[in-house]
Amino acid sequence: MSKIDAVTCPVCGCLCDDIELTIADGVVAQVKNGCAMCEAKFFSHNNDHRLKTPLIRKDGKLVPSTYDKAIRKSAEILAKANYPILYGWSSTDCEAQRVGVELAEEVGGVLDNTAVVCHGPSILSVQEVGIPTCTLGQIRHRADLLIYWGCNPWSAHPRHLERYTAFTEGRFKGSEWKSYINKVKAAAGRKKLRSLERIGVLKHKPEQVAPTVSDNKPPAILNKKGRKLIVVDVRKSMTAEMADYFLQVKPGKDYELIQAMRALVRDQELDVEEVAGVPVEYLQQLVDAMISCQFGIIFFGMGLTQSPSKFRNIDVAISLIRDLNMRTKFAIMPMRGHFNVTGANTVFTWQSGYPYAVDFSLGYPRYNPGETTVVDVLLRQESDAGLVIASDPASNFPRKAVEHLVKKPLIVIDPHMNATSLVGDVVLPSEIVGIEKEGTAYRMDHVPLPLKKVVDPPKGLLSDEEILRRILKEVRKIKSKKLEAA
Amino acid sequence: MIVLTPFKKSQYPIIAQCINPDVFQEKSKEEIGNLPVWIGNKKRRLVDLFKVEKNSANSTSITINGDVTQVRRIGWGMTQGEIVVNGNVGMHLGKKMSGGKIVVNGNAEGWAGSEMKGGLIEIKGDAGDYLGSPYRGSTVGMRKGKIVVDGNVGSDAAVFMKSGTIRIRGNAGPFIGFRMTGGVIHIEKNAGTRLGACMIGGKIVVSGRLENIMPTFAIERLKGKVKIEPGDKAVGPFYVFLGDLAENGRGKLFVSKEKNPQLSQYERFL
Repeated sequence: MSKIDAVTCPVCGCLCDDIELTIADGVVAQVKNGCAMCEAKFFSHNNDHRLKTPLIRKDGKLVPSTYDKAIRKSAEILAKANYPILYGWSSTDCEAQRVGVELAEEVGGVLDNTAVVCHGPSILSVQEVGIPTCTLGQIRHRADLLIYWGCNPWSAHPRHLERYTAFTEGRFKGSEWKSYINKVKAAAGRKKLRSLERIGVLKHKPEQVAPTVSDNKPPAILNKKGRKLIVVDVRKSMTAEMADYFLQVKPGKDYELIQAMRALVRDQELDVEEVAGVPVEYLQQLVDAMISCQFGIIFFGMGLTQSPSKFRNIDVAISLIRDLNMRTKFAIMPMRGHFNVTGANTVFTWQSGYPYAVDFSLGYPRYNPGETTVVDVLLRQESDAGLVIASDPASNFPRKAVEHLVKKPLIVIDPHMNATSLVGDVVLPSEIVGIEKEGTAYRMDHVPLPLKKVVDPPKGLLSDEEILRRILKEVRKIKSKKLEAA
Repeated sequence: MIVLTPFKKSQYPIIAQCINPDVFQEKSKEEIGNLPVWIGNKKRRLVDLFKVEKNSANSTSITINGDVTQVRRIGWGMTQGEIVVNGNVGMHLGKKMSGGKIVVNGNAEGWAGSEMKGGLIEIKGDAGDYLGSPYRGSTVGMRKGKIVVDGNVGSDAAVFMKSGTIRIRGNAGPFIGFRMTGGVIHIEKNAGTRLGACMIGGKIVVSGRLENIMPTFAIERLKGKVKIEPGDKAVGPFYVFLGDLAENGRGKLFVSKEKNPQLSQYERFL
């Protein structure tokens, strides 16, 4: 039995690097400091869904094969294709992504990562208006106003609050953990009292009406000292439960709300009484709290990027930050999902100039989301082959896109059997990055962190990087043979 | 006149920026047929995908007969002549054009008239998204010229528009005239949400119903008529809104009073 500390967790964009693992008999036996998702991922290297041999589809059935055969078949599919797509990349390391860009260029395909169904809109607006941002460390030590807009870190990034924002002890700002515990204790106490009243132990007292948040009235606590947590969402999520102020916005009306806030920051008067279900008077109080903070940050998620208006929401959110920075210090950051989606954007950018949706079909990189994004290519039924790595589009793409993806030859590289592997024509198992293979990943604030190898992979398995290198080598061989023949 | 007829509808995208009167000018039929086009990731000749006919010596007029939905970049940067498409046409039609005329007797896909500097585009059917808008990340919108669409228009038309005219005879999607600084847009039927968001200057006239108006627009007055082009006026009365206040903008929205009774609440500010 051995212990390994300071392991980086390869699950979400937080990339927590304080995980402690206990290894027994070459298997992860205990995970310390991690969230539920972290534990599940570290234990997954040893589960039944693990793929251990390459598979090739024959007569409609996936039959076991060898790496040599599967790689040759994959290379043949890609070399022959007129318009292949290469999708995924966000749950593997930067080293594999780098080879992926080379492969996409060689086969003249469309290279895209999961940002296309996630934070792609954020990237589009960043390209139009720029982004005033910072690292998570700065937020941890200095931020006193934390706004989560359209995201629910309690469920999706469970340790985000604890490591970087409201519940962390920073050098200059204290943790609000105690006040949250007090809030929870008070709620539990109230519940107990009510139960005692019900069974008759206590005489019933007229209940004091607690301030509700449903009318969006900002509480007096908004003017308190110390860290303040504000959540803006369409529903009361778990994160909203623990917030100092929960602002409920009408679904799909974020754009109007942010624009109105921008006008208020610029001291303009509005001709309306209410915007997106929030009275302008309350909005003014919120804007005042934002202006009077020392250092504020907005974290935003799918609630902004994938709701109506998409990247225009981010466009105005960033513009709001720009306006606020004339009065105080403010920053904004997307809550990236996969552990290395930021890395995929970064690697694609330093290799091709574009962060996602890169089309190499003309021999040079071209980028135009809407035209060269994988979902649109599939919906227009343009592609004639596909390679999916470290992702599961079959379970989250639009149905029509999946239908076309499945219709054409499909290569899948994944450590596990998932919905996409089940419909693939060539399935190549790989090592799990961050558990069985070391590598590099980028945290959501663009800080690169090393991933560790903690256990040995099952015998005979190759890494994503190695598989891609071998496919690339094989594609080059086929192409040079064709040239010679010509 | 040069007549192009596609042999079949392609599955793969075709990049054919050679289909341009400036390129075809003073070229023989064979020379035109040998011009390069890309289908998927393969380079081919124009004659491999189209039947090329040349009817007269004048080669600044091009007619395309058939569906060319997958053919992109037709009329890229053209400065003169005419292109007539009898069928649907693909993305980036007349991109960066500075003169001449394009007529589409069908629908057009996205980015038609993108970064236009002059000339005329007439689309008899519907137009896709990003009509007359720049490519991703660019802030250079339509600078001159005219676009007329007889059908409906998708979202994000006339983004960053600086000058010129866009006339939409049908309905328009959301975000028309986003961040525009000048020029005129006339929507003869209904307009989508977030009309003129972040606009700083220019005019948008809506003769039909406006789904909702951004809270950052303030009413200025009522107006009977509004000038679209020299000798062309839209008849109202119109509510005149100024905005976008979030950008300290002075853009004008003219919204039909008759079709938008829901905006009567603004009259108390007059």
